Amino acid sequence: MDDTLNISGLSDDEEHLTSSQVLQQLEEIWMNERLSPNLMVCRSDITDCILEQIQEMEENISKAQKNELKVSLHQLEVDRIRYMLSSYLRCRLEKIEKYASSLIKEAADGDQSRLSPEEYTFARELTSGVEAHLMSSALRLMPKNLQSLNLQEYAPSLDRYVFLRVNSPEEGVIVDEETDQNNGDKIDFEVGAQHIMRYKPIEHFVESGVVSLL
Amino acid sequence: MFGEKALELIRELHRNREGTLAPYNEDGVRQVLEEMQALYEANQQDVSQLVQNESDQTSLTAVQIRHDSLQRNKRCLLAYLYNRLQKIRELRWEFGSVLPANVRSNMSPKEMEWFSKYNRTLANYMRSLGNGGLDLTQDMQPPQNVHIEVRCVEDRGELELDDGSKILLKKNSMHFLPRSQCEHLIRQGVLKQVT
Amino acid sequence: MEHSELEFSAEKQKLKIVPNFSMDKIYFISGDVGPFKAGLPIDVPLWLAISLRQRQKCVIHPPDWLNVATLQEIKESEMAAELFTKLPNEHFREISQLLLTHAKHNMHHADAIRTLVKDIWDIRAAKLRSSIDKFVHVQASHARIDNITRMEINLARPFLLDSLNHLHSLRRSKSL
Repeated sequence: MDDTLNISGLSDDEEHLTSSQVLQQLEEIWMNERLSPNLMVCRSDITDCILEQIQEMEENISKAQKNELKVSLHQLEVDRIRYMLSSYLRCRLEKIEKYASSLIKEAADGDQSRLSPEEYTFARELTSGVEAHLMSSALRLMPKNLQSLNLQEYAPSLDRYVFLRVNSPEEGVIVDEETDQNNGDKIDFEVGAQHIMRYKPIEHFVESGVVSLL
Repeated sequence: MFGEKALELIRELHRNREGTLAPYNEDGVRQVLEEMQALYEANQQDVSQLVQNESDQTSLTAVQIRHDSLQRNKRCLLAYLYNRLQKIRELRWEFGSVLPANVRSNMSPKEMEWFSKYNRTLANYMRSLGNGGLDLTQDMQPPQNVHIEVRCVEDRGELELDDGSKILLKKNSMHFLPRSQCEHLIRQGVLKQVT
Repeated sequence: MEHSELEFSAEKQKLKIVPNFSMDKIYFISGDVGPFKAGLPIDVPLWLAISLRQRQKCVIHPPDWLNVATLQEIKESEMAAELFTKLPNEHFREISQLLLTHAKHNMHHADAIRTLVKDIWDIRAAKLRSSIDKFVHVQASHARIDNITRMEINLARPFLLDSLNHLHSLRRSKSL
């Protein structure tokens, strides 16, 4: 069995990861997604790879003897991984439904990394459905000057506090932007240390793996 | 008082019990829209008078109050409609693509329309995942360990399992069974889980 | 997060079992396990250990910290320390709970262990409450929270974050 997989899109140099390493990455992005106030950058490279693994394994299982111990253990593992993957994608979908309009706007403004093409289509269809409903059920029956609709104001609050653990060192992290000019609120990230602070200043550290949300 | 009817719609949302959907308040929605029309017309009238005569502070204030009431009514009405969609969405995830009859009968025709569009959108997305898709409405909980140990509380005769094997459910006998196949018997009180 | 999700995450941790059967290596997506030889100890993930235990196919060896003597030491140092001590495992509570449920018969003095785990947890919970009070009181915008486990954070989260988010918006409206 070939246990190295080619993960495309991570970087220019060829990266070969074992399936267990990709699984670790899935768990990491799953936890972070569950705990971050906004939608994180889409990682189809990881989810596609895992889904392929699951589907391949399920195919093998369906061909095998059901009551054999080995097969039922494989089934248990597949159920676990499918749960984690589904939970991750569900969590994203919930955020996408909540903030669809502002995410679409962000994509239109040039940042297209957050939504996968499929998620983008989902968000588009969803907003057009909601808009059509609000329009036909109420807005169109209101006086002309009141018929406008702005769903983009539903955006996640990046000011929320989060818990985090440091994975790699970083110096002079700004804790609070408002006090930036007096230079007072800066801290150093030591590996293994845990902090509680606002999400906004460390959002990019979560994406880059410098910290994990707890 | 302006805005009362709109507020009533919001109160209705808060009264809605978990897992259910209150009947669509068509009357309430219509009354709010009528109130908005009346406020709008009253304002039109005052504004055109203001333009003709010297500016009158009293009617200017009235215009401002009506304007605020209009905005407030709009907000409440949209919140009412939007929150109902959220609710219907939740029920979709709970019950699947066919909602229970008592939920459906409480939806407006337009909400039914929205619901079937939502279903299509969701199905398209789930189908697009990997080869052959992934049903995200399954696997809602972490898989529990598939087998559990149970004790039989009463004589129940033979039980055939999915894999074709048969076991005899005799009072006080112990069995090690797939959870999915004995959960209903536990609920009925025939089996008791041993921990 | 849900309690069950944290338990799920803890179940990937490895521990020792002694199988009563022999079987070739299994090529799991999460990595290879085996080969199994009856009577020979082997490291497997907790979810696998529990599943095999339920099928009466192995004996589980609890991790080296899950015994009366070690837990007693942990309890004492937790009481003596002002700050949180570092627990022997990040999933201390989940693993204890899972093993006390599924491998009770493979443990000596399971009831005493259960009590000690709960004692340690209670001492830490009291610390957690007082540090939350302090933190909210001084209105800090940042705090170090070393050695607090995910499960503890999860318990404190709803209350703490609500207060903090509230305080933050008050601070902002003051400075505007």
